[in-house]
Amino acid sequence: MLGYHGACLVIDLTARSVRRDPLDERVLRRFIGGTGLGAYLLYKHCPPRVDPLAPGSPLIFAASPLVGSRLTTSSKFAVVAKSPLTGFIGDSLSSSFLATELKGTGHDALVVTGRSESPTLLSIDDGRVDFLDASDLMGLSTSETEAAVKALLGRRARVACIGPAGERLVRFASIGNDGGRQAGRTGPGAVMGSKNLKAVAVRGTNRVDVSDPEWLDHARRDLARRSLGPATEKYRTLGTVANVSVFNRLGALPSLNFRQSTFDGAGAVSGETLHESHHVKNAHCANCTIGCEQILATNDDLPRVSGRMEYESSFALGPLVGVADANAVIRAARLCDESGIDTISAGGTVSWAMECFERGILTEKDTGGLDLRFGNAEALTAALRMIVERRGLGDLLAEGSRRAASRVGGGSDAWAMHVKGLEMPGYEPRSLKTMALGLAVSTRGACHNRSSAYEADFSADVDRLKADARRGRITADGEDFSAVLDSLIWCKFLRKAFDDLYAESAAIYERVTGWPMTADGLRRAGERINNLKKLFNVREGWTRDDDTLPARVLEEPLPTGVARGVGLDREDLDVMIRSYYRARGWAEDGTIPAQKLRELGLEDVVESGKGVSSGAL
Amino acid sequence: MELFGRARLEAGRRQVTAAVPVRARAGDLAAALLESCPRLGGVAIREDGSGPLESYTFNLNGARFIGREDVMLESGDTLLLFSSQAGG
Repeated sequence: MLGYHGACLVIDLTARSVRRDPLDERVLRRFIGGTGLGAYLLYKHCPPRVDPLAPGSPLIFAASPLVGSRLTTSSKFAVVAKSPLTGFIGDSLSSSFLATELKGTGHDALVVTGRSESPTLLSIDDGRVDFLDASDLMGLSTSETEAAVKALLGRRARVACIGPAGERLVRFASIGNDGGRQAGRTGPGAVMGSKNLKAVAVRGTNRVDVSDPEWLDHARRDLARRSLGPATEKYRTLGTVANVSVFNRLGALPSLNFRQSTFDGAGAVSGETLHESHHVKNAHCANCTIGCEQILATNDDLPRVSGRMEYESSFALGPLVGVADANAVIRAARLCDESGIDTISAGGTVSWAMECFERGILTEKDTGGLDLRFGNAEALTAALRMIVERRGLGDLLAEGSRRAASRVGGGSDAWAMHVKGLEMPGYEPRSLKTMALGLAVSTRGACHNRSSAYEADFSADVDRLKADARRGRITADGEDFSAVLDSLIWCKFLRKAFDDLYAESAAIYERVTGWPMTADGLRRAGERINNLKKLFNVREGWTRDDDTLPARVLEEPLPTGVARGVGLDREDLDVMIRSYYRARGWAEDGTIPAQKLRELGLEDVVESGKGVSSGAL
Repeated sequence: MELFGRARLEAGRRQVTAAVPVRARAGDLAAALLESCPRLGGVAIREDGSGPLESYTFNLNGARFIGREDVMLESGDTLLLFSSQAGG
């Protein structure tokens, strides 16, 4: 087989058993790799309705056919599991050398099930698997864990690990790798922690052959050249933090727990300010020519802290919680990365608690004396530490905003800003109507990346302040496009460097695997993957009511900025959701007709999918 | 005109005042901006002033994105220039 190894490694931590399962051509061509292959393996290996933190809940690392090709941005992998936040599919992407070493072990994916009796370091060196004692690693941060594992197994080992938050099953715990990169969203670190699995180290020497190496050499050079052109300029200069000042001006920057879409202190945490006053250097993932990562450092009188900064972190730990202090935001982001928690869910949950505090639903008695007001940077840091340690109020907040609101009551679910349990990213849905639909229907909850629906809103193609029935097709197409990116896997920041993503990627896929592929075939694969993700959710209990937005978004017009007075009522959202179901060819209640499954070649997956009745479809 | 991102850093200022036709296209806006702030040539505006680079976009008053169509301007309108690469 070319481009793939045609196998996944299945490890049961309870039985300490290892087996190599074949992945045949039919599976690989239909689901490609990355999130697509991960979704297939999750559907296959996850017992229906299993508790995401139970031993039987699988944790999947999936590489892709392009890993090892040295095509720019292709050194990426997906982590897929049933999310402990949403109870639905959770998939996160990360990147760099871990992807190449994972594939170098001779497998396209790794499936981990069961639960080890004691803290474990899983070492996979080509075909050899060792279950090593990780007791000495417990309590270490992600960077400390990575360093300790490398000291033990050698510098070539690439490490995916959890920090203290994952060990304590914080529901939005992330998995770190390669010096600070994160599979951040949906809580895969909690799933890893529930297995008593502190770290996975991979080393491999198995390289895959490709069908047409000469052609790919040319394609590699051409794509590298294009990746340094105008299509990636923002990412190469200020990085994604450039969004802060633009979104603020457009009334699309959520602040103060989504009470506003502008922030008076935005200038202090804007990309321009961070670049001028805090920028240290740009960093690259392995095999990436873009180099989008902004390494920033504090510049105040406290001990210097440096780390990566993206827009989502700066939004969630800045405007969302009312903090207008760049040094505090940099410190909070570093704390999240080192402890192993998702910055978006962390900021979203703390901002929910801040609003509870301001409304008197939580008091200093509940917070342990913490003055948990919006804008209090010290309280933000303290709350994050309490979450990581599950100490005091932190034990509640470690459950995420949906569960915390359910326990606290007092109507606080009205300002728990999540979809399906996943906290909202930094895109104000009332002033970005296509994004609103994308957030409402996404299979992984409030996610901007799985549809990239914001693209339409930031263009002349639609009126971003008004809802209409065109948004269903736009969102469905965006989801399919994203599924292809996330399965091949290309970095999203490369997307505009392609003249025609589907046609060019199909040609590359052919030259890697030797299997015929067309633009339409790839587009169809994207649709198939999104339908499979939805099928998983249906199996796990999804209902039409899960496709919605927080009450605040649907009941309160925006009070400030250019979008002042703009809201989104339930009827308008419903119009868009129905248009989305129509675009997908789904039933009015959002379920997938059997005919659609046959059309996408998914009927055999469902038959082996344990517990899905034809009625549920 | 308000500048964002690299355009702001290169220009060394947040705002530029420019006179533009009442009925304008993106090319007219770009030419006026380039005249007021030549340093944006090749950075955010095409060297010949015929339009923004494809990595940039114009927006009117924070509300409307300016595509290929003519736009009617009024005195006091604000044009924003920022990256056309959304997301992150």
